[in-house]
Amino acid sequence: MTSVVRRAVQRSAMFVAALALVAVIWETYKALGPEEGGQLLGIRILPRTSEYAMPHVWDMFSRFGRPEVRGSARTVFDAVLAGAWYSFRLSVAGFVFGAVIGVGLAVLMARFKWVQRGVLPYLVVSQTVPLIALAPLIVSWGGKLEIGAFVWPRWMSVSVLGAFLAFFPIAVGTLRGLAAAPAASVELMQSYAASWTKTLFKLRFPTAVPYMVPAFRLGASASVIGVVVAEISTGLRGGIGRLIIEYAREATGDPAKVYTAIFGAAALGLVMAGAVVAVDVVVMRNRPKEAVV
Amino acid sequence: MTAVSVRNVSKVFNQGKPNQVDALSNVALDVKQGEFVSLIGPSGCGKSTLLRLVANLLEPTSGEVTVNGKTAAQARLDQDYGMAFQQAGLFDWRTVRKNIELPLELKGWDKQQRSARADEMLQLVQLPEFGDHYPWQLSGGMQQRIAIARALAAHPPLLLMDEPFGALDEMTREYMQGELLRICAATGTTVVFVTHSIPEAVYLSNRVVVMSPRPGRITKVVDVSLGGERNEDTRNRTAFFEAITAVREGLRGMHAAHVGLGNDDR
Repeated sequence: MTSVVRRAVQRSAMFVAALALVAVIWETYKALGPEEGGQLLGIRILPRTSEYAMPHVWDMFSRFGRPEVRGSARTVFDAVLAGAWYSFRLSVAGFVFGAVIGVGLAVLMARFKWVQRGVLPYLVVSQTVPLIALAPLIVSWGGKLEIGAFVWPRWMSVSVLGAFLAFFPIAVGTLRGLAAAPAASVELMQSYAASWTKTLFKLRFPTAVPYMVPAFRLGASASVIGVVVAEISTGLRGGIGRLIIEYAREATGDPAKVYTAIFGAAALGLVMAGAVVAVDVVVMRNRPKEAVV
Repeated sequence: MTAVSVRNVSKVFNQGKPNQVDALSNVALDVKQGEFVSLIGPSGCGKSTLLRLVANLLEPTSGEVTVNGKTAAQARLDQDYGMAFQQAGLFDWRTVRKNIELPLELKGWDKQQRSARADEMLQLVQLPEFGDHYPWQLSGGMQQRIAIARALAAHPPLLLMDEPFGALDEMTREYMQGELLRICAATGTTVVFVTHSIPEAVYLSNRVVVMSPRPGRITKVVDVSLGGERNEDTRNRTAFFEAITAVREGLRGMHAAHVGLGNDDR
């Protein structure tokens, strides 16, 4: 367990160091780069370093502590936190939905080769559809859904878009994991006359775990991206996506503000992926300590 | 009574295609209850295929396989045999005890019965203190003993083994051969054993079945007259070397006079 802790500390240290490096590069360029950007043959090839284009890193962070609008008691930090919490819940809903669909599809594809041949190409194609184009469609379809007293709320459309991005890596990774059971182990289960379902739960899923964890981690961050982009393109209120557009509109007067919302979105993705990694550590604690994937 | 009966069995892979393989051609073999029979031959002679036909992991193209008087398919459904492979193939995510309990779980035994049987099997393979370890914490020889314990957990009358000691070093291998004989004597299990090693086949078996490839067929059956009690001294007895010579002769299709004794036992 101590080695696990040591590795976690090392990784966190590397993470902080990498972040600090980005900040240093940002500030160095801001200090040395041309104020109005560099132009070559009338095309700007170097970004401007003015206060409006590149606010100081410390301005971005200090903006968290100041009021969201002049005279308000609510700080930007409170607003970003509330937005991130709202988007987090939508992302979790999207992730769970995407995981159910993804694992379900993977099981069907592993069970029936014809499903795999028929469905897998469409899964790949589905990921090439731009989310921005899809978001208004899903919202308008959702708006038409009415089952008895149930009215499809707008946030659910946003979660569905998160699920739309999350299910793909989960389906592909789980499928790969389910197919990874060694031939001898499959024969062993056959020799016990174990049914396909028994083999699935006693052999294939446990074998798939090391493949599923990275897939779920990708799915978790994909869900956050889906939700944030869908919030932006549908204009759903309450989430971090909405804050990003609102703050971006104020960029001319308050350039540091939009970065607070961007940091919020990034932190959200990290929290989601981190939760999956935590589950991984618990689930894999008794497995041999070697990389499988 | 006959434990395994193979009658005029042929197996063709990819029949009618350009890559057609005649894995087995007109094979007949009877294994008596309590008998230890080894299948030996070069790669591609169909010895693993024959074992898989007995296990009903493959269906014969023609001919008939019966196990304990039942069809091979029924015997598999009834779990009348246990199986062990070259790789121990223990499940990494289960403790040693849970690995041994796997076939019992699939038979629907309750927890107490399973636990009692796992204790018994751990005693049998002389690893009682390792029940709560995980397989990857054990040496290769220990893992293979657990695999044998798993194969025998449901007390099947027949044990099918596909080069189970092939991945072990020489010392561990000879030790495991002794262990296997002790376990079989204690349980009265019939064994069909696939191997590449002539001394291993002779040391373990009542009969060694020599096979040859293209197409896979039985060319010779060597009776080993070493008696029931076998120990390390057995390996130095004249009868041991005579049986080795007979098997090698069968494998090479060569007269015994051309084969030097003891210079190439492996």
